Amino acid sequence: MDISFRIRRYNPEAGRTKPYWQEFELNDVEPSHRVLELLHRVKWEQDGTLAFRRSCSSGICGSDAMRINGRNALACKLLARDVGPKIQVEPILGLRVIKDLIVDMEPFLAHYRQVLPWFVNDGPLPADGRERLQAQEDKDLITDSTNCILCAACTTSCPSFWANGEYVGPAAIVQAHRFLFDTRDTGDDARLDALGAPDGVWRCRTIFNCTPACPRGIEVTRAIGEVKLAVRKGATAGIIDPATIKQQH
Amino acid sequence: MTSLVITVTETLRYRGAIGQWSWVLHRLSGLGVVLFLVLHVVDTSWAVFWPELYEEAIATYQSPLFTIGEFGLVAAVVYHAFNGLRIVFFDYNPHLWRHQQRAAQIVLLVTLVVLAPVFLLMFGHVLDFYNSAPQVLPLTEVLRAQLVFLPGFIAAIVAALILSGLHGLISGGDSATGVVDPQGSRSERFWWSFMRVSSLLILPLVFGHLAVMHVLQGVFDITAQGHDVVGTGGVINESGTAVEFVANRWNLLVGGVAVWRVYDFALLALVVAHGFNGLRYVLTDYTSHSPFLRRASVYLCMLGALTLLVLGVGALLGTIDETAIEMGVEAMERLHAGS
Ligand code: HEM
Ligand code: SF4
Ligand code: FES
Repeated sequence: MDISFRIRRYNPEAGRTKPYWQEFELNDVEPSHRVLELLHRVKWEQDGTLAFRRSCSSGICGSDAMRINGRNALACKLLARDVGPKIQVEPILGLRVIKDLIVDMEPFLAHYRQVLPWFVNDGPLPADGRERLQAQEDKDLITDSTNCILCAACTTSCPSFWANGEYVGPAAIVQAHRFLFDTRDTGDDARLDALGAPDGVWRCRTIFNCTPACPRGIEVTRAIGEVKLAVRKGATAGIIDPATIKQQH
Repeated sequence: MTSLVITVTETLRYRGAIGQWSWVLHRLSGLGVVLFLVLHVVDTSWAVFWPELYEEAIATYQSPLFTIGEFGLVAAVVYHAFNGLRIVFFDYNPHLWRHQQRAAQIVLLVTLVVLAPVFLLMFGHVLDFYNSAPQVLPLTEVLRAQLVFLPGFIAAIVAALILSGLHGLISGGDSATGVVDPQGSRSERFWWSFMRVSSLLILPLVFGHLAVMHVLQGVFDITAQGHDVVGTGGVINESGTAVEFVANRWNLLVGGVAVWRVYDFALLALVVAHGFNGLRYVLTDYTSHSPFLRRASVYLCMLGALTLLVLGVGALLGTIDETAIEMGVEAMERLHAGS
């Protein structure tokens, strides 16, 4: 199939101080090719200055989130046949564009750090001095949120985040969820305080753009809702009913 | 401003699902109702403090511009209320999120189903009114009457900016937003719960208010001479002034209690707190880049809420006597002579 590609470009170093659209035509595209491969073809065959991030090319590293045909997705997961003969690609919104499709991820990562996304437990280690084991039912509470690859597709699909870059954002809340509802973790108080701040979890207006944007199929708005209830209660116990968790294993 | 512009243009461009449009409608309807609330509470307080002006305000409410606005207001409140219920429901049942798209569609449907008969009834009042060869204020007069609000709005904004500046000076520079602050955390938690609990109380109060004042009787009946006053069990508006209409309602005693004053007080207090905290959410969303403007937004909402509470409660505690009604009669004669 033939594809006409419209790409949002921005390259201040080349003297173009304003973003602009550029069109490319691609012939003989396999319907099973991914948008990322099409970007590669543009870069390798037509314009070597096109800049975008990618690493794993298989939906694991989270580096190639972009807005494709109006909606956030990973370029390495979307197939040409699913986006059709006209494809429009632009950078994710709400983070400063550095060049073409590359944005400054630092504010996003700063929000990630804000929720203390690491395991906290200063208690004594188990007798064998090794892993802190967990029952499967307990693990089920966080399985969904452990799937996050920090691609920022959710956070940059959110009108609250577009308006207000101080908002901690869906991704950081999903990451907080992963530790808050980890039954072995003891760092909840500090995390709940961080999330309860004026630009914390309350900025979510349940718009639901984040959930369909997530390439990992995470129930993002659900996680946010559970974190809200936990912040309100000041504790995480009893917020999630295990019977309502979708089975993943 | 740029963050507001970007949010508006990109919301139009981003291909989100129905939830995005529910949010747009919820926000716009909430803001629209807050704006009308300001006009309405200030106007109504004049029934006590400035009877002539109250007659004029009701005359403007009976003009075509406000009639269109009234249909918009009722639509906004009905949509906002049902959509608010949806939000509250999913807030407390996050695991049911999969149904939210259908719920958002149902909200739209229920809004239309409720609005259809309501609009028909309201339209009936409009027809009755125009069939009675009424005297209608010209548009220029209607707009001129709203001009009195302009200095008020400007004064509130200027005062909010000054307060924010002073706050900045005293607290020694602009404190960064987004820092971890357990105190801020506690108050935001309160407001989140308040928005939800208050909305469940507001819903019956506001629907009752709209049903009585806009559907069962219309704004045109407020000045119908010799007509019974809605919700009073048949008290007659002898003079046909809006002032007497309010007096008849507020003076109605049931078991020694001025029930409509109590009702209006509950409605006022809850809606002012809910509406202005909602306004604070909206304004602080778009001013996060400037601690100065953000603080000013918060002060503006506090000033607005305080003003409406003082005027509203003052009026509810006031008395409307014979002289006030006479002033209303005179104002009415002047209005009719003028048009
Ligand atoms: C009739 C019953 C009402 C219900 C059930 C209701 C419900 C709600 C809820 C649940 C929210 C929070 C939304 C969120 O956090 O995402 C909200 C926000 C808001 N409400 Fe209401 N409300 C009602 C009446 C009103 C009235 C009468 C006003 C105006 C005075 C109003 C103005 C607002 C505003 C300005 C917001 C903020 C919107 C935003 O942040 O986007 N509401 N309402
Ligand atoms: S929750 Fe999903 S969309 Fe958001 S950062 Fe994680 S993987 Fe990406
Ligand atoms: S390149 Fe790694 S997720 Fe797409």
